Amino acid sequence: MSLNRRRFLSAAAAAAGSTALFPALGQSAFAQDRNIRHFWWGNPERDKRTFEVIRIFNEKNPGIVVTGETLGSADYFTRLTTQIAGRNMADAIQMGYGVMFEYIDRGAILPLDDYIGGALDISKMDESAISAGRVDGKLYALSIGANSHVSIYNTRLFQEAGIEFDPFGWTYDDLKRIAAEVKAATGVFGSDDGTADYQLFSDYVHQRGERLFTDEGNFGASPEIIADYFAIWTDMRTEGSLPPGQVSAGLVNAEISNWGIVTGQTAMSYAWSNQLVGVQNLIQDKLGAAMFPNTPEMIPGSIIQPSQFICLSRDTVDAEAAVGYMSAFVNDPDMTAVLGLERGIPANSDVRAALQPKLTEIEATSVAFFDGIQGKTMDLLPPPPNGAQEIEAMFERVAVAVLLDQGSVQDVASQIAREAEGIRRRSR
Amino acid sequence: MSFQSRLRRSMPGYVFLTPWLIGFFLLSIFPILASLYLSFTDYDTVRAPEWIGLENYQYMFEFDYRFWQSLKVTFLFVFLSVPAKLIFALIVAMVLDKGIRAVGWYRALFYLPSILGGSIAVAILWRQLFNADGVINSALRVFGIQGPYWLSDPSYSLYTLVVLAVWQFGSPMLIFLAGLRAIPQDLYEAAEIDAATPARKFFAITVPMLAPVIFFNLVLQMIEAFKSFSGAFIISGGTGAPLDSLLFFTVYLFSEAFSYFRMGYASALGWVLLIIIAVFTAIAFWTSKYWVHYENERG
Repeated sequence: MSLNRRRFLSAAAAAAGSTALFPALGQSAFAQDRNIRHFWWGNPERDKRTFEVIRIFNEKNPGIVVTGETLGSADYFTRLTTQIAGRNMADAIQMGYGVMFEYIDRGAILPLDDYIGGALDISKMDESAISAGRVDGKLYALSIGANSHVSIYNTRLFQEAGIEFDPFGWTYDDLKRIAAEVKAATGVFGSDDGTADYQLFSDYVHQRGERLFTDEGNFGASPEIIADYFAIWTDMRTEGSLPPGQVSAGLVNAEISNWGIVTGQTAMSYAWSNQLVGVQNLIQDKLGAAMFPNTPEMIPGSIIQPSQFICLSRDTVDAEAAVGYMSAFVNDPDMTAVLGLERGIPANSDVRAALQPKLTEIEATSVAFFDGIQGKTMDLLPPPPNGAQEIEAMFERVAVAVLLDQGSVQDVASQIAREAEGIRRRSR
Repeated sequence: MSFQSRLRRSMPGYVFLTPWLIGFFLLSIFPILASLYLSFTDYDTVRAPEWIGLENYQYMFEFDYRFWQSLKVTFLFVFLSVPAKLIFALIVAMVLDKGIRAVGWYRALFYLPSILGGSIAVAILWRQLFNADGVINSALRVFGIQGPYWLSDPSYSLYTLVVLAVWQFGSPMLIFLAGLRAIPQDLYEAAEIDAATPARKFFAITVPMLAPVIFFNLVLQMIEAFKSFSGAFIISGGTGAPLDSLLFFTVYLFSEAFSYFRMGYASALGWVLLIIIAVFTAIAFWTSKYWVHYENERG
């Protein structure tokens, strides 16, 4: 959630982009066009591609004018909340798998079922992607790319240290060994510190055979599991394979440009697979992709889930046109060609086939990674309960105490379990 | 004059005031009253608000430890930054008052941080300066000192923001400067004849004569410090991190309102802050009877 050069640039680009809208808006209102607004969070690369997609759509669909609005992810939801309260959300809005359900539950997003077969074509979409956008039997969201957790490692440093491992079946013990070997051979810390990383943590809970949230919506991670998780990282940190805790404390939820693998401070960072491309663009060394480390029992912990959705907002002024745009966004060959893999692996099989021959090296790596994890992931979980977002933020906030050596691993673990319960009680 | 003719005479005035009045009622009074109402509801921005009475306030005081933490951080910030900033501003004002060459330049130069002060750019700059391998620590390394992790260590993070606040001393400095200029020089001349030391002159002439200005600056800066937001928001990434050491009241309010759908609760927080500021302003006014004397006052 930090503001740095990247975010600043994207915000500036957004500001520049929105000024560019005004002439278009004025013009279209004059011509009695149907106006659709699309709002997403992005980065300079994504914004460039999405504005290009909008241009293509507008060209192909005279009479409909789509305008784009974009912000960095941290500001996106703030703006969205303001717009919800002001009842002026964009027609098509971007959503993430975790947050979306709270918006659906509160009624900010409209179901799409009435448009299927009409304005909306989902015939070529993977069934798994469609079901991920369904709540209580209704379709609320179109997946715009599949995603999973990935460990990104620096292949040059791994080679120098002579590391051999199975990227699709390795354990935390392997990580411990590898991190120490990389540090010894290259002087670079073996890995980023996962202590306050909620994604690594949530996988670990699954890998221990538990669920992050029970069917009743309660927090499923016991203090023992949380403490075990912290102990794994604390061990590695004590051994000197990870950066000092105070450094890692400043990097919780950091922007890509501050990750250890990008700054050169560590040999491995943890990410969403659609971020591979973005990370590779920032460094020279070739990147490798592995699953998150597992427990010796090798219980799958990662999920393949939509990275982002495009949804129809409650405040849409022209649902038919908006759904038409959303449908084109996931199906139209020209538009999807521009989008590429930037938002994740497309859920439409035709789109995937069309992209295959044009992949860059890192895109090929991420496709190969996706092939490798098939059958090694867990089924999609039921939608997280209200309060899940706040529990994630709470975890990242409280776990920092472990990094800063303030309070024992056990105490911090019990505090997290206790607070998670309190948040659930307060969320309706 | 009859009421009607008085009205007719003042009518043009009100007509000219109308745009401002509309803005005042629509953009200030209405939202303020709306937030008072919302503070007694469970408003989540999407669904219609439901009246829940005092529940928000009750939860805040009984269960919400982050509320208390945010109060602690905010009070600490106010009590550290306001005196430090005022003292610093006064020192600079006194130096500039001595009539150095190109004083206009210096005044403009010193005022610059205050113009930039609330801006996001400065907060980002501050982040860069105090980063683990930022400018400050690089400078310290030249002298062989390993600087602390200013921003990720909760025992230092707040102080970096106090320094940021002090650095924005420009506006109280300008007001002090005007106040200093207004002190009659013959008082100092008389003191000099009596061979008063500079310290004596400062405490016996400057401070009492400047008291109304000090008081004015104190109240203004205090209110501003209570409301301080952008520095902590940017440097902590909006979360109050590390370990809630930068959880300013406003940052907490913001995250409750915009991250967790608790607009009703955030409104209640806003009203608590308003009452706190009002109480402290009242206390300042009450104590001023004992230390602020105005020249045109008798006694």
